[in-house]
Amino acid sequence: MILRRPLLSLLTAIAFVLMLGPVAILIGVAFTAGSTLAFPPEGLSLRWFAAALEYRPFIDAFGTSVLVALVSTALALALGVPATLALQRGRIPGRRVVENLFFTPIIVPELVLGLALFQQVMVGLQITALGTLVIGHTVLLLPYTVRVVGASLALADPRLEEAARGLGAGPVRTFLRVTLPVMAPGIASATILAFITSLNNVPLSLLLTGPGVATLPVEMLNYVQSSFDPVVAAVSVVLLVLSVAVAFATERLAGFTKVFGR
Amino acid sequence: MTRRGPMLALLVPGLAVLVLAFLYPVAATLLAPPDGDPATVARETGALLSDPYLLPVIARTIRVAVLTTAICLLLGFPVAYLISRAPARWAGRLLALAVFPLMLNTVVRTYGWIVVLGGNGLVGQVGAALGLGRVQLLYTETAIVLGLVQLFLPLMILSAYSSLAQQDPRLEEAARGLGASPGRAFRQVVFPLALPGALVGCTLVFAGAVTAFTTPQLLGGSRERLLSTLLYSRVNVSLDWPAASAVALVMTVLVLAVSALSGRLGKIGSTTS
Repeated sequence: MILRRPLLSLLTAIAFVLMLGPVAILIGVAFTAGSTLAFPPEGLSLRWFAAALEYRPFIDAFGTSVLVALVSTALALALGVPATLALQRGRIPGRRVVENLFFTPIIVPELVLGLALFQQVMVGLQITALGTLVIGHTVLLLPYTVRVVGASLALADPRLEEAARGLGAGPVRTFLRVTLPVMAPGIASATILAFITSLNNVPLSLLLTGPGVATLPVEMLNYVQSSFDPVVAAVSVVLLVLSVAVAFATERLAGFTKVFGR
Repeated sequence: MTRRGPMLALLVPGLAVLVLAFLYPVAATLLAPPDGDPATVARETGALLSDPYLLPVIARTIRVAVLTTAICLLLGFPVAYLISRAPARWAGRLLALAVFPLMLNTVVRTYGWIVVLGGNGLVGQVGAALGLGRVQLLYTETAIVLGLVQLFLPLMILSAYSSLAQQDPRLEEAARGLGASPGRAFRQVVFPLALPGALVGCTLVFAGAVTAFTTPQLLGGSRERLLSTLLYSRVNVSLDWPAASAVALVMTVLVLAVSALSGRLGKIGSTTS
């Protein structure tokens, strides 16, 4: 392939260097012994990892991020799974319109949604930053749960459920024994995708901060803009390692590119 | 599944959250923010669209998004093509490698560019070694485009790949068998058939580039403002709600217009081919 298609291979190489190069350089910077963002690093040390672990705001922000991601993923599933079930299996009047309505949060810029929630919910209704973050992330994740679980339902034959009913199973039993197992892979994929999407979000979470409350990416962004030491590079490497672990777990569970390649 | 009632009930909680926590707040903020009414927002939007300082921000946002989209297509489509024609084992690995950056937050992905592009960074060092003097790419439009290309290449690769993977490779072989050069077979058979996927990719990248915040904030700073960073500074620095709403409105309309346009193009494409 490389010899037969030199131009194609060159473009591919450039693309991968662009996608991964900056991240690779960040790994080098994280292990520097010096105190500036320098590449190649000035000697090797783990001092910036120690500094990162001692920096209280990052630890708190990580806790906030995980909490928000867990709660909003659970809420988005609790709202999205029933909705997608109704859209796929019920005879809903104006189904396409309703379905598109569930996808609209994807089209509206997240920064705009963040501003809206900041103004109308956080300032307007005096709801805490944490509460507003959960509300915002739930709205953000809802389209993902509806679409991903919907895709697994759309693939399954609705006659399976009709057959179960015809054979005498009640609606609850049919749901638990037929519909739920059919949706299970979709729910698993949606959970992972939603959790990671929430964990990484910046634009929506940017304005939804309060005293001592901010998500980790936002805290990282603020730190990077005021200080020029490599602490954030060390935090990035920790996140990178965690992401690799999640990627491998996802691969075993549901197929990595199937979950994140949507 | 004949009973409509229970099924409709399953939709209600989700719809209620969409209306109360999404549609209403967004509409209120865009049209009638706390210190203003639709007239104030309209006036501010008019000012935005005629102000000699602000108009370049809109122009720059569009220019950056168009450039980012073009470069992503130029690089991402060939990558997707290569993956779609590679042996299955390699295809899986390359695709996973292209998808992996999507798991990292944008600060992690963008931060490395500061090291590369800063005055004392790699580009600066190479520039000094070549006797070009102090090369500073950080806080330029070029830096923003580079950062956004990195950010959105995976989306283009995935979209193009989904079209290319469905394509029967024998079509290309037939073109080659009939005497077309590899380049011509690519231009006249492979690319046109994968156009729907490429179009989806372009839409995602363009919308993403118009709304991205981290990358223009870190790599463009206050010197090269885009709509997103302007919006943030209007909220956080000048605390001017109606003025922020005007920027939000322009940004939203821009994204919706491009999505609608690409939807139209996609429809035309699918009916004629």
